[in-house]
Amino acid sequence: MPYPEELVAPMRKELSSAGVQELRSAADVDNFMAQKSGTAMVIVNSVCGCAAGGARPGVKLALQNAAKPDRVATVFAGQDTEATQKARSYFADVPPSSPSIAIFKDGELVHFVPRHAIEGRPPQAIAQELTKVFDSVCATAK
Amino acid sequence: MGTFHHDKSELHGITVVVDTNGPKVYVGRCDDMDDEKVILLDVDIHEDGQNGRSKQQYVERAAKFGVWKKHERVIVPRAEVASVRRLGAMHSELGGAVTATAVAEPPKKAEAAPVPKPAAATAAGQVVTLTPNAQAEVKRLLANEKPGAGLRLGVKGGGCSGLSYKLEFDAKKEGDLEIPYDGFCVYLDRKSTIYLRGVTLDHQKGLQGKGFVFHNPNASNTCGCGESFSV
Repeated sequence: MPYPEELVAPMRKELSSAGVQELRSAADVDNFMAQKSGTAMVIVNSVCGCAAGGARPGVKLALQNAAKPDRVATVFAGQDTEATQKARSYFADVPPSSPSIAIFKDGELVHFVPRHAIEGRPPQAIAQELTKVFDSVCATAK
Repeated sequence: MGTFHHDKSELHGITVVVDTNGPKVYVGRCDDMDDEKVILLDVDIHEDGQNGRSKQQYVERAAKFGVWKKHERVIVPRAEVASVRRLGAMHSELGGAVTATAVAEPPKKAEAAPVPKPAAATAAGQVVTLTPNAQAEVKRLLANEKPGAGLRLGVKGGGCSGLSYKLEFDAKKEGDLEIPYDGFCVYLDRKSTIYLRGVTLDHQKGLQGKGFVFHNPNASNTCGCGESFSV
């Protein structure tokens, strides 16, 4: 059962205020993923404080890096279930977990950070892992 | 660690590998644990040799990719548990996050993250052992404490490796495990006994000494200062 929206709203805003596009429906996800060229990152957000509490600030920190994905979006697990299910269909080989982070290049999944790699880690460590991937696969923002 | 759930175990909400003394190994999210049981949510269970994978190979793969949930909730009796480790710690040992290429590859034997064996019993069959140096220092310090105080050892969430040691002088509390020494007692709360089983507490004097030092055979990772560890 979804959490009350007023509880979740600040968790959505934490990412959207950093320029992350919210995908609320399956159509939103398909539209976002339709563009194959370049790099994209999809964050599966979650209410869980044990992991998502570090993931969101970690993502925000990582997005300050010079090299970063061309497009960044998020779905909210447990809240926007249709959108989350659709997003997961783009990385269906990986067991589902939330929060988690998928990075694509030219439409192909090139990196995935599962929940267990986020749990208990400080935002700086999560950001460090992400920026390492950004530096490797993303172009530097002009 | 368990941001919202202070009444639960330190590993609440964390994905763990529970290895047993038998052929089974469990991977799931820890809901709670004490010295009688480990409660896991969203669990997969693997038996040694199942699908042609040893327990170790299965754990390596789980550390890279996660697991497909087969059971909502599983209770593992503590008597069967050989070790409890954070899956995330093994993920780091195996070189970080999953790449799409890695998903298609079979698990690699060379990158094994060994599943730890059960902690060896201490000489006195105790959960925690204090070296003679540590005993002498505790006695010296206790002379300044209130009568009846003992040495409380425990763990708490925090530190750069996930769990931190707690060391303080305190009175005995209900449910504590009590370990008598000559002239004082060591107290451990029930949750901490899980993490401190097999630990030796030493005391190092002198200019190069570090004061009280924990030697933990269960720790899979210890930070540089030795104040925190993960299992």
